[in-house]
Amino acid sequence: MAHGEILAGFLAPHPPHLVYGENPPQNEPKSEGGWEQLRWAYERARKSLDELKPDVLLVHSPHWITQVGHHFLGVPHLSGKSVDPIFPNLFRYTFSLDVDVELAEACCENARKRGLVAKMMRNPKFRVDYGTITTLHMIRPQWDIPIVGISANNSPYYLTTEEGLDEMDSLGKATREAIEATGRRAVLLASNTLCHWHFHEEPALPEDMSQEHPHDYAGYKWDMRMIDLMRQGKTDEVFRLLPQFIEEAFAEVKSGAFTWMFAAMGYPQIPGELHGYGTVIGTGNAVMEWNLVKAGLAGAQRRTAA
Amino acid sequence: MTVVAAFLVPGSPLPLLNPENGPWRPLMSGFARAARSLAAARPDAILLYSTQWMAVLDELWQVRPQVSGLHVDENWHEFGDLPFDLRIDVELAEACIAGSREIGVSAKPVDYDQFPIDTGTIVASTLLDPEGRFPLVIAANNLYHDGPTTRRLAAMAAECAKAQRKKIAVVGVGGLSGTLFREQIDITDDRIARPEDDKWNRKILQLMEKGDASALERVTGDYVKEARVDMGFKHYDWIVGGIGGRYFGAQVHGYGPCYGTGAAVVEYRL
Ligand SMILES: [Fe+2]
Repeated sequence: MAHGEILAGFLAPHPPHLVYGENPPQNEPKSEGGWEQLRWAYERARKSLDELKPDVLLVHSPHWITQVGHHFLGVPHLSGKSVDPIFPNLFRYTFSLDVDVELAEACCENARKRGLVAKMMRNPKFRVDYGTITTLHMIRPQWDIPIVGISANNSPYYLTTEEGLDEMDSLGKATREAIEATGRRAVLLASNTLCHWHFHEEPALPEDMSQEHPHDYAGYKWDMRMIDLMRQGKTDEVFRLLPQFIEEAFAEVKSGAFTWMFAAMGYPQIPGELHGYGTVIGTGNAVMEWNLVKAGLAGAQRRTAA
Repeated sequence: MTVVAAFLVPGSPLPLLNPENGPWRPLMSGFARAARSLAAARPDAILLYSTQWMAVLDELWQVRPQVSGLHVDENWHEFGDLPFDLRIDVELAEACIAGSREIGVSAKPVDYDQFPIDTGTIVASTLLDPEGRFPLVIAANNLYHDGPTTRRLAAMAAECAKAQRKKIAVVGVGGLSGTLFREQIDITDDRIARPEDDKWNRKILQLMEKGDASALERVTGDYVKEARVDMGFKHYDWIVGGIGGRYFGAQVHGYGPCYGTGAAVVEYRL
């Protein structure tokens, strides 16, 4: 029977500013650049992803919010123009993507088996959210790998953070089982910002980097503390601190992508590779990679060992 | 008189997408009655605020003369599509942007092809004005604005309309109690999720009917907390701000559940 596996997980935040700064043909507004540190971090991540040659990219996005269950994109091809409701001046992106519906259905089915409410999104006119699109563009601008898009059920906000993240843990485990059963070689993308305190006004020129810095020092210190633990592979400690981090740094990881990804990977105690860190309108963003192939937990090395 | 009508209406797409479903019929007929009142009031523009158009930086105002397209709700996609074709009173919206800045609220125009129009705006405009007779002024719900700021914005917008010698209808789009069924339900059995919520909603609606705005003020804080009211009931603040703080009573045209949450179509007597 097909034995799929997760090759790697990336913390892959979605500020639309990064797409805007890059000026790809798909995005209507044009910039003078900006946020280079983060864009170059994504360049390194792109290279890594390229070497992994996955069959599919799975992304969990906080900007597809659902109340009744966890939803999965379930239409083979989706296209349209995505305009960011918060930063329409920066992000008006024409997208076209292919969905691995078979894997999405398996994830949905497994989530149900684990007691979650889960649903397929079958409406062909659905507009994919800007978080999903930004993360996917930044990690793989060629759009040549099928994807699975997963909504952020609002349970961490509607229930308690802990109850909500418990659901994301189950969702992650269900995702892993589906990947294994369908024989996919998969990469997971957690589309999350860290510290989420932000400025309330944009500079006249949004890419004027002389105006860009962390919103507050306490939030910055939290980000560094968490990243440092991740770089050391102290995953248990990261998750012990996560609720406090969420509370004090208003961290976007509350929406669940980060927990989903780690649960799917089995919370490996391996060092994450920091590709780069930067702020966007004051929020903290890290591009990080947990490469299970390099760590000997997946891929050829694992097969030889087995 | 500048304000010729004022309504509180729900932004859930469920009744519009399933008008025949029993539990949602009172809301649909409530909308129909409200639409007749609105048509009779013949406003020059509708001043509309929907809790579902969320902003975080500035106060946003739609200024594109015509916005049309097709929207699919991110949670209720299985129930169908929401086509829309809205006409905007750009002159009044521009005045509101200048006016926002004058009262110390940073504001920005929104004028982009395919900008995502929120479900609540589409539902309310479709059901209150099915023929699209009246142009709209649409303002965003900035998540960092409190009730008093929302009132000041609406009051400012009404002043702008007055300066332009326009008659307006003020519309707040949002729900009542916010406890939603989080699992799949049989929609023909929909009901208010918790009896306590139902009690709270009815109490609030009764105070509106009596025109007792000050008694309502006194309990709003508890209502919002205990019944998890949609967005802190800021859509009500919008209405109160827009009509100058006073109404003499209200008619509840329809009340009922939307997947467990509370919803009502209310017309205020001015
Ligand atoms: Fe975000």
